[in-house]
Parts: sequence; structure tokens; C-alpha cells
Amino acid sequence: MPVEVVLPKVDMDMESGVIAQWKVAEGAQVHKGDILFDMETNKSIMEVEAPASGTIHALAPVNGAPIQVGTRVAWIDTSDDAGAAARAAAPAPVAHSRRAKPVAPPRTAVAVVSQMHAGVRATPLARREARARGIDLAVVRGSGPRGRIVAQDVAAHTAAATDELVPLSPTQRVVAQRMAQSADAAPHFHLTAHVDMTALRQARDHVAPRILREIGVKPTLNVLLAHIVARVLTRHPRLNASVEGDGVRLHNSVHLGIAIDRDGDLLVPVLRDAQRRTPAELMHDFVRLRDAVRSRTIAPADMRGGTFTISNLGMYGVDTFTAIINPPQSAILAVGRTVDTPVGRDGAIVLRPMASLSLSSDHRIVDGVTAARFMADLRRALENPASMEDYA
Amino acid sequence: MPNDVAPPRAAPAAVRELSYAEAIREALAQAMEADPRVFLFGEDVGVYGGAFGVSGDLVHRFGKERVLDTPISELSMAGAAVGAALTGMRPVLEIQFSDFVTLAMEQIVNQAAKIHFMFGGKASVPMVVRLPGGSGTGAAAQHSQSLEAWFAHVPGLKVVQPSTPHDAKGLLLAAIDDPNPVLVFEHKLLYKTKGDVPSDAYRVPLGKAAVRRRGRDLTIVAASIMTLRALAAAERLAAAGIDAEVIDLRSLRPIDHATIADSVRRTHRLLIVYEGVKTMGIGAEISAAIAESDAFDFLDAPIARLGGADVPIPYNPVLERAAVPQEPDIVAAAERLVRRGEA
Repeated sequence: MPVEVVLPKVDMDMESGVIAQWKVAEGAQVHKGDILFDMETNKSIMEVEAPASGTIHALAPVNGAPIQVGTRVAWIDTSDDAGAAARAAAPAPVAHSRRAKPVAPPRTAVAVVSQMHAGVRATPLARREARARGIDLAVVRGSGPRGRIVAQDVAAHTAAATDELVPLSPTQRVVAQRMAQSADAAPHFHLTAHVDMTALRQARDHVAPRILREIGVKPTLNVLLAHIVARVLTRHPRLNASVEGDGVRLHNSVHLGIAIDRDGDLLVPVLRDAQRRTPAELMHDFVRLRDAVRSRTIAPADMRGGTFTISNLGMYGVDTFTAIINPPQSAILAVGRTVDTPVGRDGAIVLRPMASLSLSSDHRIVDGVTAARFMADLRRALENPASMEDYA
Repeated sequence: MPNDVAPPRAAPAAVRELSYAEAIREALAQAMEADPRVFLFGEDVGVYGGAFGVSGDLVHRFGKERVLDTPISELSMAGAAVGAALTGMRPVLEIQFSDFVTLAMEQIVNQAAKIHFMFGGKASVPMVVRLPGGSGTGAAAQHSQSLEAWFAHVPGLKVVQPSTPHDAKGLLLAAIDDPNPVLVFEHKLLYKTKGDVPSDAYRVPLGKAAVRRRGRDLTIVAASIMTLRALAAAERLAAAGIDAEVIDLRSLRPIDHATIADSVRRTHRLLIVYEGVKTMGIGAEISAAIAESDAFDFLDAPIARLGGADVPIPYNPVLERAAVPQEPDIVAAAERLVRRGEA
């Protein structure tokens, strides 16, 4: 008896996923619980298990195209010996993810897949030309009977596609949607301050050996900056807030989002309760999140619920920039590079490592003076870290 | 019409316009003049001049010993041909209507085709059978068939189907030269058609098709009278913007797969037109051969066949026409193929 393997729903707002890689080959014997494929969702990659034992067939292609939740991506034929156990039990219609409880697929999704598995209708010549040009026939529109793709359709597709069209990854689509929504809905205004990083550097050098002993890594300036930002935010509730209907939700805790790039995907893992974490704890958390992002194992939960975001492009040589607020948050801090800059100190010109910090705020809930007070407070804290217990 | 023929052996020969029947008669005369072993026999080929007038005055030119009337017994005629060929003669047998060859199957299929192989190459059967075939004369089911595919199925036989006076002469001379049994399927409707025929004794090689018309959009493979219909259809298709290539098979066995495959690689579409019954016919063989060949990858549409209907040829002239492919059928099939409405 054939058992469907369908794309599981592992997240409340998940509508589709991408098959990143099959872990089994067409026609392979699989056992219930074996890892069948890696599934990439908006936020992470997870492993999907076999719902039954048997021979697996009709693997959906790995082509980067999003597949709707509930769509059949393979069959498991349980009619052989390997499937006997599974046949005895009621066949599970949905593949199990290791991370989340599967949800029954919508019925309509199955029809979509049947079409997919009917295969591409194309003439031998069209196939030959598509092979020669490296074109996936699945994306070519067929003009022949029953949608058959003929050579001319491949040529037309090639002509139309000389400028490469690259589909957005699931992550990129979410980012695109949210950024457009923010730029459209939130009236942004920007405040920039140049902050002397001399003291923060000294503070880092001061605490580095101790933190290295505690957690095995040295703290980065960026994480110490995040640590101080979190502390300062507790005194500026409007900047650690979100728009909610006609009100403003003021958050008790600072959940600090840190923007990280992963091969062109923008991900924002969240340092939870950052206002009550020590620099060592925060550094430890940061390393865990960063590694999870890089290894594509970051869980959706680690990227939810941020209340304020820091984006740092200093390492790319950017002096100063303004960022788009990560909705529904009220502000985002854009950090440029630290440059030795001549500044006046006690009537003399001296070189100091100066960093440019730009705050983008949502003017619906943050006014100019509120933001300016936060920036002044932040500057004082960054330039006098020794006044804080953690850096004493 | 252009022909892929061997160059003339002698100085440029005079070219006259002859009918298909006259061209065959000229071939017979030249063969008998050149080789005393050649003789013609069959029902009414002598003083009557042949049921379709092909042998004409040959009996007067070569005498009753070389142009022989036979009793009405195809089996004994075919047996006589096999015996004569085995003993050193070059017999040319006319079967009055090709349908009657069914009576001679034993001698042709079980004897003539196999003797060379069963005697280890020590004997051969250089006989020629001429068979007027095809429909269109109102001669009904027992006098109108196209049975060439039956013989093309038999190893040891060769089968040709000339479409022009030129090829009727050249293929017949090549058939008489050949040391194996060759069946020449002539078409009754073609006997009066005319064409340029050189006066010398040229040969058209067996097993070699002719590209009668070059085209880009599809390949129409035909033979015998279907070649003429395909060429007429091609002219109408050209007016409609479809450029058809027309291949005249000329030989069914051996069949010239290379010429067909080469054409399909260029045009990407194949339509096979034949008068014999479509089911299990030569179209199936050609279609399968292309699908098995390297040319498969160059097909941009399913291979299409137009063949005779699955019925005995009707006597009613309207139904008789409807039972085999006609020019408008070829035009329509080609248009469907090229305009992608072939589903």
C-alpha cells in the first residue's frame, strides 16, 4: 500500500517549504523514522522523517522552488517486506518532523502535486535543447497540445530569460515583505551620533580574559555594545516598544535582535532578556545563535519576539547608514565602523576611535526628543562603561 | 523531378518523355537485348500486350519464347520462375493483379527467399516479380490491395515501389541485375503518368530513397503513388507557409533509414504516408526505426502515420477514395503536425 510523504507544517505561519536535500535515493528502502530530506522553511532547516517503512518513489525535484505545505513529495510503497510493519499499523499520512508536530495537510494540496508528478510533457527535441541550455523544463510554458513543450517554447523561454531571473529564497521573501511593510507603514526618522569608543575598547580588554576563561571565547565589541544598549533601553521604554492597534506595547524585557547575513539571507536571531544578562552570558548566547544561523539549524523560535534590533555594517567599511525598522518594533540602531578621527579634547585635537550610530525610530510612537534622550544616554554609557558594575 | 540516380554509364543519353508503362517496357526490352537469359512471362503478357498494356509489342520483338503467356495459376508461374532462376535464367514474372500473389506465396516466401541461405550461398534465385497493385480503379477488394509490406517482412526478398517513369525503368533494370528475388510493386494508376526517361539502360540503385522536395518544417515519407500525392500536398502546404520535405522511399527492402533519419534531424517532424493498411504497415516500421535511432532526440512532435483504412478496399468509388490517403488528407495531417494540433 502506498503511503504519501507530504511536506509537513512545522510552524504556525508556515505556508511552504523548500526541499534542500534528499537523504535517500529514488527506490531506496526506508524505515519509519529515517531522515528523508532536509526542509528549508522561512527561518531554518529541519529534517523530515519517513512516515512508514518501504520503498520510496517519485521524489520531488530539488530545485529551490517552494512547495506548499501538505504537498506530496514522495511515495513510500509498503507492499514489500520492509513495509510489513508499517502496513499493520495505520499508515501515517504525514511525514514527521523532528522539531514539530505535523498538521494534517489541506486536501487541495494533493492535487497540485499530482500535476507535478505527472511529469513534464515535452518533445524529444525540446528536451534536447533544454539539456543543452541548462533549462529546467518545469519552468517552460508549453504551447503544444495538453501543454506539451516543443523546441520553439524552449527557444522563447531562453530569449525571455537571457537576464537571469533568480527566485527569492523563503527567507528573502519574508524579509522583502516585512521591509516593504515597515517602510510603507512606519514613518521613519533618523538620529546620528558619533561615539568615542576608546573606553569601550579598554573595557573589553579589561573583561576579555575573565570572559575567555568563563565561556572560552573573547567578547566582541559588538556584543558589549548590545549589552550596554539593552541596559540603556530599560530607561527608555518607548524605544523598547511596539505598535499594537491604537496603542503602544511597552516591553518589560529587552529581546535584542542582531542582524546576521547568511549567504545573502538576512536573519535576525534574538538575544533574549538581554537587559539582565552579563556580558559573558550575552556573548555565550550570541555565539550559539550565530553558529546556528551559519549551520542553518537556527530554530524559528530563536528568531521571534525581538523588541529592538541592532544592525552593524562597520565590518564592511561602512561609515554610517540608516536602517529600516524591523516591524512591529519601534526602533533600530545602525552601527557603522569605528575610525580614528581627529576630535577636540580639552582644547587639543586628538585622534580617537569614533563610531557612527544611527537610530531609526517610528515617529508614530517615538518623538524626536524621546529618541534624542536615548541617544544621549547611550553615548554616555558607551563612553563610560566603567561606571557599570559589569565593567568595573 | 530531381532524382538521386547513378550517373549514366555512357555519353549523355537522349531524354524523352515516356509513360510509366512505356518506361517499364523499355527496361524489359533493353534487358532482353542485353542478356539472352532474361525473359518475361505471365497472364496475357503476349499477344494481348498485358492487362495494363505494359508488355505491348514485346512478343513481336522478342518472340513467344521470351514473352510467354501462362495458364491462370500463380503458384505454378512462381514455381517456374524459381526453377528458371535456379537453373541460370533471369525470369521476369508479371502477376496480373498484385492481389493474386497470395496464390504464389509458397514459392516466393518459402522457396525463392530462402534458397540462397539454405544452400549456403551455393545457389541464388535471380528472379523478378512485377506486381501491379493499389486502389483507385474501381476493381474492388480482390484487385486493389497494397500488399508490399507482407514481402518487405521477409528476409531474402527485395521490394521496390517506383513512383516515376524514370524509376520504373531504372529500378526494374537494377532488379533484373540483382542476384536475389526482387518484387517490383507497380501502381495501376501510375501506368499512364509521364516523365523524363533517359534512353540508355541506366540503373536506379535498390535500397536508396530519393529526396523529391527539400523542406524545413516536416518530412513526408511516401512511396509509389503516395509520393505524387505528397508532392502535390507539399505545394499546397507551401502556399500555407509550411515547407515540407518529401522523401520517395523507392525501396521498402532494403529500406533507406539513413535518408529518413537525416531528414528528420533537420525538419523535426515526420509524417509517413502509405496506401497499404495502416495497422502493422510500413509506417509502423519507419516510425519505430526513427524512435529507436539517434534522430529521436530531434523530434519536435509525435510521429504521424497516414495509411489505408482498416477495411477491404470498397467497390463504391467514394468509399474507395476514402479508404486510402488522398492529397487533402496529407495536407490536413501535415498542418496538424506543424501547427501542433496533432493531439
